[in-house]
Amino acid sequence: MTNRGAAREELATGTRAAGSRAAADGQAVPALELVGISKAFPGVLANDGVSLRVARGEILGLLGENGAGKTTLMNIVYGLYQPDGGEILVGGERVAIRSPQHAVELGIGMVHQHFMLVPDMTVAENVALSPSRSPGLSRLDDVTRSLEELSSRFGLEVEPTAVVEDLPVGACQRVEIIKLLHRGADLLILDEPTAALTPPEWRELSAFLRSLADRGSSVIFITHKLDELFGVADRCTVLRDGRVVGSVPISETDKPSLARMMVGREITLRVDRPMVEPGEPVLEVDGLTLVEDGRTILEDVDFRVRAGEVFGVAGVGGNGQNELVEVLIGLRSATAGEIRLGGRRLDRLDPSEFVRQGGAVIPEDRQHEGVALELSVLDNLLMREFDRPSFSRWGVIDPDKARGRAERLVAEYDVRTPGVGVPMRQLSGGNQQKAVLARELGRDPRLVIAFQPTRGLDVGAIEFVYRKLNEQKRAGVAILLISFELDEILSMTDRFTVMVGGRFPRVLEADEADPETVGLLMGGEAERA
Amino acid sequence: MIDALRGRLREGSIEFGLSVLVALAALAVASLVVVASGVSPTEGIEALVDGAFGSDLNLAGTLSKMVPLTLVALAWIVVFRAGRFHVGFPGQLLIGSMFVSIVALKISLPGIVHLPLTLAAGALGGALYAGIAAWLWAKRGVNEILSTLLLNLVAVQILAWWVRGPFHDAGSPLPLTEPLPESARWGTILERTQLHWDIVLIPLAVAAVAFLLARTVFGFRIRLVGAGERVARYAGASPERVGASAIVLSGALAGLAGSSLVIAGSTPAMGEDPGFAIGFTGIAVALLARNSPVGAVPAALLFAALTQGGGVMEGTVGISSSLVDFIQGLMIVLVLAATTLLFLARRRRRAGLGPDATRGAGEPAPRAVA
Repeated sequence: MTNRGAAREELATGTRAAGSRAAADGQAVPALELVGISKAFPGVLANDGVSLRVARGEILGLLGENGAGKTTLMNIVYGLYQPDGGEILVGGERVAIRSPQHAVELGIGMVHQHFMLVPDMTVAENVALSPSRSPGLSRLDDVTRSLEELSSRFGLEVEPTAVVEDLPVGACQRVEIIKLLHRGADLLILDEPTAALTPPEWRELSAFLRSLADRGSSVIFITHKLDELFGVADRCTVLRDGRVVGSVPISETDKPSLARMMVGREITLRVDRPMVEPGEPVLEVDGLTLVEDGRTILEDVDFRVRAGEVFGVAGVGGNGQNELVEVLIGLRSATAGEIRLGGRRLDRLDPSEFVRQGGAVIPEDRQHEGVALELSVLDNLLMREFDRPSFSRWGVIDPDKARGRAERLVAEYDVRTPGVGVPMRQLSGGNQQKAVLARELGRDPRLVIAFQPTRGLDVGAIEFVYRKLNEQKRAGVAILLISFELDEILSMTDRFTVMVGGRFPRVLEADEADPETVGLLMGGEAERA
Repeated sequence: MIDALRGRLREGSIEFGLSVLVALAALAVASLVVVASGVSPTEGIEALVDGAFGSDLNLAGTLSKMVPLTLVALAWIVVFRAGRFHVGFPGQLLIGSMFVSIVALKISLPGIVHLPLTLAAGALGGALYAGIAAWLWAKRGVNEILSTLLLNLVAVQILAWWVRGPFHDAGSPLPLTEPLPESARWGTILERTQLHWDIVLIPLAVAAVAFLLARTVFGFRIRLVGAGERVARYAGASPERVGASAIVLSGALAGLAGSSLVIAGSTPAMGEDPGFAIGFTGIAVALLARNSPVGAVPAALLFAALTQGGGVMEGTVGISSSLVDFIQGLMIVLVLAATTLLFLARRRRRAGLGPDATRGAGEPAPRAVA
């Protein structure tokens, strides 16, 4: 019987098969072993000689900040990418995982952040839909029966007849996991499982994972939250900048040590950060709270950004950054709290008001929020200004004035384009971003919100963005920099906070931040930091 | 600058070439059908061309059929650019005709005022009727394709009742209104033909729509909202407000088409169906024109010629005029196929460029290498 078959049998009968295969050195064969995995993309080495091991019945936490290489690594295990170098061993056997389908056949299953469930079908129907190991379609009765069995064994609490769209998020996640189990997966990979869960839902899920592990399944979950690890993981492997920094049993470590491992770098003072004496507060936020569908997305956020200052918001994505920006620029209304820009209250649900009061925003999603790909470069550059008297009279645009302005902006911001009349989609990502900068900064705003401004850019473009932002800073503009890249925050900002769970726990001076404090904050340990 | 122009021209000629190819392909397939029915293709084509352009009478017929087709095509183009396509033009056309009959028959004015007023009534009727669907979409999220499709059916019933009830010509056994007065009708250009002065609406409307889209702030907002909902919101435009306005504007154009069908028609009285089907054919015209306002003119000419020539062809060589419907339908299918292929080709070409374009979901963004 193959190792895979043995694992399945165990799952079905709930017992360990007698005489599990043992390796030559007497230790049990790990469920998964990665040896020296490397993966490079143009411009970045995502994984650099990563080795890790997951034992059968073990829950491994994969810890690291954004860009550490966790997702890439797991995508390799799931067959989405091919590694450039290194070996993968599943159950002691060397394999090349060709595709997700192949990974499934090897017993590897991955639960992504976005669920793939049919909303108006029942749980049983959804599980029946997903490909299973046995050929032919799964009979609904068989599926329902095996679900009830799994349910009672693992304490699942999911009704096979429940309709998916009525289920809370936590239950949907469990359904996704059940789909994998039904396919015979014995190595489960979860990507940031708590992203959409409430604390009680997480407790249920961790209990479920624990019972799966006790039955012989292995679990790897990707996280940046220290809390999650200490609740449920057996061991933790920390990745940083594509390399393994350490791998320790949870029982032998503590949160500060992990925090240091996760973030630990020489936090050096970057001399080329312009030192500007900050002026009056331009952006004042008091008690900003956002509650939706029972979830608290922003909680009592207080901060000030002064003229000539770069204020940073660090932290891993998904902690309320998107919602914060939407509330600030007038795309979403807050539940409570006050925003003042240049002294004036902003309380209308109106992006034009934000702009009128001197606000500018460089959005996170360049292709869908920053630019209109199908429109011309000129249209994109002037999109906020067409109705100004300098460009139109009685609703009719003056093409010469518009072109003149567009060409001036293109020159000033070094946007490489054959002309201002070509569609924006013909420009490279870097030049598109330069166009966004041209549009937003070219208005002489008093506040700039830059959300992941260098995402997806090459070194030259990144340098350009930083240079332009620093120019604005020297000119007395207040800058709110929200970024998932800690390096960016540390090099560009004067003061910063780490956003966790919709809160700003502390404000740190960039010069005084130490890795342990930052790591703890990012890991969600605000009290300890 | 020159490169941009060249690029623009190249894209424009690709689009134009595509339309020509589609038209030729459809005609080629149609010739096969003609051969199958025992007529030589050359004879069939000759009959078609002769029927469309062969005499003053035939030419007049073709040109006059162009007017409502162009107007409906423009209506589609406006609403398509805003990203809000619907199929309510037939209904808006009918309600526009209804309003026309009111102003034409119930008000007595000299022609120089009566005619423009009648036209305005047609546009108003279409706009109001479209406004129903626009409101339903903007305020209640009702899918506008569904709502306009259903509203079309309602309009048919309204007009059927209209010409049998309140506006029925008591002296006639047929479902017709009284004859509309000359003051409310377009004059004929060529005596005893169908060619009326409403043909001036073609260049006027095309110029107006092209100008609106390219050179006005409102037109820019239409294009912005059509380019992306999120980026439009970030730029301060309201997709709901602009989208609803575009739908209403398209209704006005469709209503104007309805007016042409009534007051530039062959009979002075209005029946229960001034031209429901044209509301759909106009969409086909716009598709063949690849959604270009200027391109709508030759496309409308082609469709009008086919309809006019097809009718005559039936009489001369005995090929059923439904062949024309077949050709028109085939052109729609081919245009959609061509559009899809073009889109896929562009996407594949773009996949060849840089890391930016190929990065899949879940992949980390490339960071600066130290």
